[in-house]
Amino acid sequence: MSIKVRLHPILQKLTGGQEVVEVTGHTTGECLANLESRFPVIKQLIRDKRGQLRRYCEILVNSESTYPNGLTTPVKDGDQIDIVVFFGGG
Amino acid sequence: MLTKNDLTRYERQILYPDFGEEGQKKLKQSHVVVAGLGGLGCSASLYLTCTGIGHVTLIDCDRVELSNLNRQVLHCEEDIGEGKPFSAAQKLAKLNSSIEVIPVFKKITEHNAREIIKGANLVIDGMDNFKTRFIVNKACVAEGIPLIHGGVYGLFGEVTTILPGRTPCLACIFPEVPHEKVSFPVFGVTPALIAILQVTEAIKLLAGFGSLLTGKMLYFNGDTMDFTLCDLVKNQNCKVCGTKEV
Repeated sequence: MSIKVRLHPILQKLTGGQEVVEVTGHTTGECLANLESRFPVIKQLIRDKRGQLRRYCEILVNSESTYPNGLTTPVKDGDQIDIVVFFGGG
Repeated sequence: MLTKNDLTRYERQILYPDFGEEGQKKLKQSHVVVAGLGGLGCSASLYLTCTGIGHVTLIDCDRVELSNLNRQVLHCEEDIGEGKPFSAAQKLAKLNSSIEVIPVFKKITEHNAREIIKGANLVIDGMDNFKTRFIVNKACVAEGIPLIHGGVYGLFGEVTTILPGRTPCLACIFPEVPHEKVSFPVFGVTPALIAILQVTEAIKLLAGFGSLLTGKMLYFNGDTMDFTLCDLVKNQNCKVCGTKEV
């Protein structure tokens, strides 16, 4: 079971420029945990102290929002997860 | 109706085959609201003005500070303490006296957002915080007015064009308004570049040619000089533009 996680450009700084990372998991949460185990620094940026996803980060599956299920959203082989980060500056 | 001066001033863009005099007339008849006169709003309003948008409303509630001057190119040292819309309008009037520039020194709130944008052809997102962006996004959806979103962080930026009812809105992508108060780093070049992309979208949308960044977010990475696109899909559960009433 292979899922592709496409990283937002700002997160690619934390993966040495790697845009797509292949992970395993049955839910978006499991896939994210798999990603974070390989790139622990990503966790610091996208989660708060309680381990919740920060509100300026969102997870898309095949370009579609996972709201309101978020990290419990099921994924299947071949799916693509996008981690998007909202730039609030102007 | 284009005047002789218009034909001379805009000659080089009128030459563009998909645009022509008809495109220029459409810009002249258009009304664009620039929400926020910071790094994005200054550069965006500069190019909206010189491209001949007939009516440009500038709205912001802040006054010019020294720390703004690395990126907010319409404000000068002598403007420190002045309301940003007035400072910006003054420069824009000198750049193009044939258009109407309307400064509005006001905070955008849930209560006045719809009134502020009512009747506009589109809104340019030049805001510097999450909360106001979501207020304006909701107002644009309610009024059916396109919103061209731009956002920046350091040397990174993003742009997408939101057509209410047809494309994902900001709340489709970010359902909960981020409450983090982030003091973000920014180089002046980043909002300038993103604002120019926003105005490029505005010109095409108003004149009716080309393809738009609808249903996709364009990311700019100034560290590596990469542009990437991320497809976005409308969220049927969206609290703002989903099946529920706004």
